[in-house]
This record gives sequence, C-alpha cells and structure tokens, in this order.
Amino acid sequence: MKYSTINYEHLGETLYEYRHESGLKCLLVRKPGYNKKSAMFGTHYGSIDNIFKVQGGDKEIEVPDGIAHFLEHKLFEQEDGNMLDKFSRLGASPNAFTSFNQTVYFFSCTDLFEENFKLLLDYVQKPWLTDENVEKEKGIIGQEIRMYEDNADWRVFFNLLDCLYVNHPVKLEIAGSVESIAKITKELLYDCYHTFYSPSNMVVVVVGDLDPDTVFSMVDEKIHFRDKGTVEKKYPEEPHHLNKDYKEQKLAVSMPLFYMGIKDNVRVTGSDIIKRRIALGIVLTEAMGRTSDLYTRLYDEGLINDSFRFEASVEQEYGFVAWGGQSPDPKKTAGIISEALQTLTTQGISQEAFDRIKRAHRGMFIRSLNSVDNIAREMMDSFFNATSYLDTGRIYEELDLDYVNRVLHEVFKGSPALSVILPQQD
Amino acid sequence: MASPAGKTTAEKLAVKNGITFYRINSDKFKTTRVDLFFVDRLQKERASGNALLPAMMKRGCKSFPSVKELELELERLYGADLDGGIIKKGEMQFIGFHMSHINDKYTFGNEKLFDECSKLLLCMLENPLVEEDGFKRSLFAQERDNLVNYIRSRVNDKMRFSFSRCIEEMCAGEPYAIPEDGTEEDALLLTPQNTYALYGEMMKTYPAYVYISGQVDDASVQRFIDAFPVSGRDGIKKVEPVCAQKEVIDVKRVDESMEISQGKLCMGFRTHVEPTSPDYFPLVVLNGILGGDPHSKLFQNVREKASLAYYAQSVIEKYKGLLVIMSGIEASNRNKAEEIILKQVEDIKKGSISQDEIKATLSSLETGMKSMQDSQGAIVDFFMSQHLTESGEDFESMIEKFKAVTIDEVVRVAQKVQLDTVYFLKPNGNNSGEGAK
Repeated sequence: MKYSTINYEHLGETLYEYRHESGLKCLLVRKPGYNKKSAMFGTHYGSIDNIFKVQGGDKEIEVPDGIAHFLEHKLFEQEDGNMLDKFSRLGASPNAFTSFNQTVYFFSCTDLFEENFKLLLDYVQKPWLTDENVEKEKGIIGQEIRMYEDNADWRVFFNLLDCLYVNHPVKLEIAGSVESIAKITKELLYDCYHTFYSPSNMVVVVVGDLDPDTVFSMVDEKIHFRDKGTVEKKYPEEPHHLNKDYKEQKLAVSMPLFYMGIKDNVRVTGSDIIKRRIALGIVLTEAMGRTSDLYTRLYDEGLINDSFRFEASVEQEYGFVAWGGQSPDPKKTAGIISEALQTLTTQGISQEAFDRIKRAHRGMFIRSLNSVDNIAREMMDSFFNATSYLDTGRIYEELDLDYVNRVLHEVFKGSPALSVILPQQD
Repeated sequence: MASPAGKTTAEKLAVKNGITFYRINSDKFKTTRVDLFFVDRLQKERASGNALLPAMMKRGCKSFPSVKELELELERLYGADLDGGIIKKGEMQFIGFHMSHINDKYTFGNEKLFDECSKLLLCMLENPLVEEDGFKRSLFAQERDNLVNYIRSRVNDKMRFSFSRCIEEMCAGEPYAIPEDGTEEDALLLTPQNTYALYGEMMKTYPAYVYISGQVDDASVQRFIDAFPVSGRDGIKKVEPVCAQKEVIDVKRVDESMEISQGKLCMGFRTHVEPTSPDYFPLVVLNGILGGDPHSKLFQNVREKASLAYYAQSVIEKYKGLLVIMSGIEASNRNKAEEIILKQVEDIKKGSISQDEIKATLSSLETGMKSMQDSQGAIVDFFMSQHLTESGEDFESMIEKFKAVTIDEVVRVAQKVQLDTVYFLKPNGNNSGEGAK
C-alpha cells in the first residue's frame, strides 16, 4: 500500500496519510500503548451551508435551518436497524455531531476495531430515508431544541452571534427551530446528502494503537462511493459592522450572564488559521487571563467569578473573539473590559508577556495530545481547514510578536457587542 | 516497575499518619501529575466549609501571595496546572487538589519540572494566606460570596438541578441529601476563623490519598513524599464508604414549576446494593441494560420508538445504592413517559432481557474499563474507588467480574430495586421565548 508517513519527533507522534482512489483521504495518528481507538468519518458540511448547488444539476437551493443536523440524526437509521445499536452490540461507543461547518460520525472502541470501522465506513455511504422515519425524528429533535432553549450558556452565546452577524448563517441555531425542521422532507435530505457526502468533501480520521496497512486496506475494501465533483456553497455578503450592539433575554437563572465579542473581519486559510487562533489566544490571555490586571480587578470587585472564560474562533468563513460568564452587573463589567482593551490595543503586547504566554500555551497543546478523542477531533477540523493540527508545535516556534500585535490591532479595532441573560422575575 | 507491559497498576509506596501514597504505573502520557484527596463524612454543618477550602487555597500561598503571582509561575512552568475542588461520593465529601505539568522532554532544555511543580502544590497546601487567627479577611469575603452565588446558580443547569432536587427529596433527612458544596444557609455561617479551623482539621485529621502518575523518577517521588506535611496528624477520622439502606414505604411525588420550555422527569430508586456487595456487579449490568448506552431499553423505547425525548438515561450512585432515571420531555407527555419508563424497569424484573442486551452491555462495560486507562484522571478515580472500599480489584479483575454476570443475577438484583421518588420540573406555561430588545 502506498501512504505517506510523517514523524513529529518533537511531539513523539506519527501521522500516516492515505489517499483512496475515489479522492477520499484517510489519516491515522498512531498512539502506542493506548487501548482506545477512535475513528471519525466527516464531511465538510455544517449548519452554515444553507445555500448550494445540488450535485448533478444546475439548481441552486436554499434549505431549511437545521437540515445538516437533521441528516446527521437520520444517517444512523438503516434499513436493517439503528446503527447506534449495532455499534453498541460490538462494544463500541458511537456518536455524531454537527457544528457550523462539519458533520462528523464517530465511534471509539478498545476491541473489534475492524468490525466497527467497517460499520462506520458502510453506513455513512448508505442513507436510508423514508417519509415515516423523517417524521418520527421531528419529535426527538424537537426535544433537543427545547433542551437548548432552556440552556442559558447556549442562549447567551447564540444571542451574541445574532448581534455580531447581520446575514451570515453562523448566527442560526445548529439544530434549527421547531418551525424550520417541520419543513424538512426526505427529498431535501437526499439533495443535501448527494451534494456534500462526496469523497473529496470528506475525510476519515483514525487515532489509536493501530497498523496503517490494516486501517487503509479496510478503507480500500469498504469505500465504494464515487466523487460527484466540486461542492458549490454560497454565503450571503457579510458587512463589517455589527447587526446590533446589545441583546438581552430573560431565563430562569440565579444571576445575570453575559457574553461579549468582536467580529473578526479578516479571512485566512490553511495553516494561517491555526496561526491566527494561537495569536488571538495569546492576545486574550494577556488581555483578560488570570495574570492580567483586568481579571484581577474584575474578580476583586466581584464583577466576575470562576465562570469567566474567553475564546477565539477562526474559521475560513467567519471569525470572532468572545468572553463572558456570570456577573451581577454585565453593563458595568463590559464597560471596564472595553476600556482595558482599548489601552491594550494602544500599547500592544510586550516581548516578556508574549514569550511567557506562548510557552504556557505550547505546553497546553502538548497536554492536549494525551487524549485520543481530542486528537481525532482536531485532526478532522484542521483537515477541513487545509492544514494539520500536528503542525501546531512548529507554528508556535515560528510565531513572532509582530504578527501577534498586528492581529491584536486587526481584531480589537472592531466594536464589541454584548449579550445578556437576566434572571426571570417571579 | 515490575508490572507487566500494558497493565495499569497502583503501587502503594508509603502510609504516613493516615495519608496513603500510591504510584500509578503508566508512562504513555505526555504529562506528570499528582492527585490528592482529603476525605470527610458528608455533614450539613461541615459541607460548605469544606467546599470553601480549595477556593481559599487557590488564592495564593506564602511564596506566591496572589492569584496573579501563582499563575505567572504556572505559565513559566510551561502551562502547569494547579487546581482544587469538591466531589461527593455517597455520604463522603472529597476535597481534591491536583497538579500536572508536561513531561521534561517537551521543555526547551529538558528542564526538571516535577520538583518545582510539587513545591507549588505543597505551598498551596501548607501555607495559605492567613492573618491573625483566620484566612485573610478580604479574600475570604470574596470567596464566600462566590460560594453562595455558586450554590444559587445550581438552578441554571436544569438537568443537574432536577437531578439534585430529586435526590434532596428522596434522601430528605439523610446526609446524602446535602449537595456537594453544602447549602446557602451553612455557607452564610462561615467566618475566616471557623473556616481556618476547619482547614486545620482537614490537614490534621482527614484521611487522605495521594496518587503520583507519569514519567517521574523514583528519587523525585521520594523527595515529594518526604516533604509532604504530616507532622501533627493525629486522631485520623474514620470515614466509612457504606451508607445505611432505607426501605421505601410510599412513593413520594414532587412537582415543581419554573419558566422553562422542557419538562425534566427524574425518577429515583433505592437498589439496596452496597458498594462492597458482590451484587454491585449485576447492578451495574442492570443499569447498562436499562439506560446506559443506545442499545438500552430506555433509549430504544422512550426515544427511538415513542419519539418522546432526546435523552432518556439512567445512572447509579455506587456508594449510596441509588439508581436515577432522567429524561427531558414535553409536559403533556409526562404520564406517557413515566408509564413507558416504569414498564422497562418491570420488564427487567420479569426477566425480559435478551442475550443481545446483556452481551452489548458487557462489551460496553469492558470497553469503558479499558478506555479509562487512557486518561490519567480516570485511572486515579478508579483506583481511589477501589482503595476506599478496599476491594483489591484492578482493571482486569473488574472486567472479569462484570463478564461473569448472568441474566439470572441481574433479574435477582432487580427485585430489590424500589421506586422511591418521582420528581418533575415542569414549565409553568408563561415562558414567552426570546425577549430580544
């Protein structure tokens, strides 16, 4: 078998890469001594891909919100029974998730890897949809949507995205709404499937103590679908300005919750995605991490607590930075944070802070390689961004302060939006 | 290390004044860590105070007298991790601390991190920030407020909230009803002085377990054990993992309402199986068949067949002998859901279990036991459970015990399982959805 081997000696990891004749790529990260094996079969298709040209025709369609997630649920159902059940009988623990830009089917197991892996490769190529089973799923997903309606952390996050984005579908709920999923039909689901579930739009990622020849020969044996050509997705034009700068909602919580963010209007691709994520991670840590004066001040004044967190999201189609948590006074807290960010943007990050935080974050990256599941998820995500998670170590080495300060200016000159959840009054 | 390749073991290194030190043998990880647990009986008047201890101790220590200084040091140590928190298992409360760092070979100049990182852990433990006869007052006031707010914020997560409300109702009057962080009223009674006195009690009288895992040399481990503060430890508390079992007389029903979209149904059962009983193994298998994985009766019947829920699952509390079923449903489907759930329990009692169901459950348990050995935290949790009950089991022997369980044994243990409490958190019907401005 012909496949490439890449040794990441400084990380103690080895990556094997195989390209199937259909165009499907398969990646294996070998983890000697680990019992657990994790395999993922994913497509570069998520909740934001609502407008596209259907494969094999010229028609461009706009599909109901939540359809990628709906299809994820339905793929588990096969003519001869539920796949979750079959994996379960083989001792594996199966699942799937839909994010803004991916749909991923996976299992983890310790024994019978071959049997489980073949099941995974098989069923993702074989949708089995009927009017009846599509209807049945609406009840289950309806309850999943209800569950999220009551989840304050989820709501505060999506309300922020609604503030940041005017048109971009990243602001839409991944599972859609009870109303939008009511419009989903078997035919629409097949249109989505045939467009996005195509070898060149997908990848197989395996992590565990496994032999590459074994893994890749199973891919040869089981992959039968053929490429259907380039996927043509369309996203609406997104202006640089905010949709709105404030949104609030009342829910059954004990203390107000806030989430604040800035839209990143610069788009990058490939390893620059990882580089920008790392740079923004350093910027946010310097701005509001536990070693910052801002964090100390807000914590000491009782304006934030342990629930405070921050994130940098950098994707091909969108990007933002966001932070928040519980606060007795979100508006006051947001005001203090905005001021501190302006000061940091003027002053920039010092060489000392850059070196110190980079060293700590690189350590956390090394730490993340302890987990088989985490490596699999990150390999999948980076593959769809045309880069490799295992290059992260090298990117840390090459990163310099000028780049970080440039990114700091690019992002933090934008205006922040604030999303607040207030306690329901009885 | 004399253990065979691939086998994960915990080797007892030393016992010093009620503190037992173990070395976990597994060197595939990229991090080295130390886990430390002090154990107390779960008691209303002590629970909030115990919960406040790790929060106070994380605020800094003599050598690094602020969070900022402590965190700067952790950053310098390649993003090392130092943390503390509270866990409840049965009627025991664990005050846990842990330290972890990346292995020396991933540092820039093969730096030795273990000694420096374990010194930080010991500093946090031995020299918290105090003034006069108590914890530093300004910090104490903040952390007590945070604890009170944290206790109040339990309501935010409706799934966890309904689960704890079910437990509170079911075990009213028993220590197990006390939440892991105690209660608001007890938290409000805490002062810098009485909390510091409790800290003294923890250090001197609570039994403790220490686990060291990862790539660290024997000499460093020995230095750490020698430096561990054990002086003055005396009158070590006896903390028993076994709780009193209670017979159910009437099924208790509690309905509460809230401004929510989805109803949360929680059904609590008494299993009358103690953690040290051989019946524990069939009980775990029963739980797997009932509501563990996607092959389980609850998933298949409540979700897949009746389409009533996104989740319908069961969990067991080993040390209190409880089984709790949870599901998120439309309020109007409540009776239907309850009926289907109870039918699944009855079916198990009647012996309606297929070979497929038990086989799938046993494989899933085996996978779980093997997978745990790929996480340093899970390995520690597993061995601590064994050490608490002095079971003497390791991963392999545990897998064998599960595999030996038969359908007959599951059915026999099922006869002991009694419904105790049905708790329903229902939407009050006024929720107007999004209120965007």
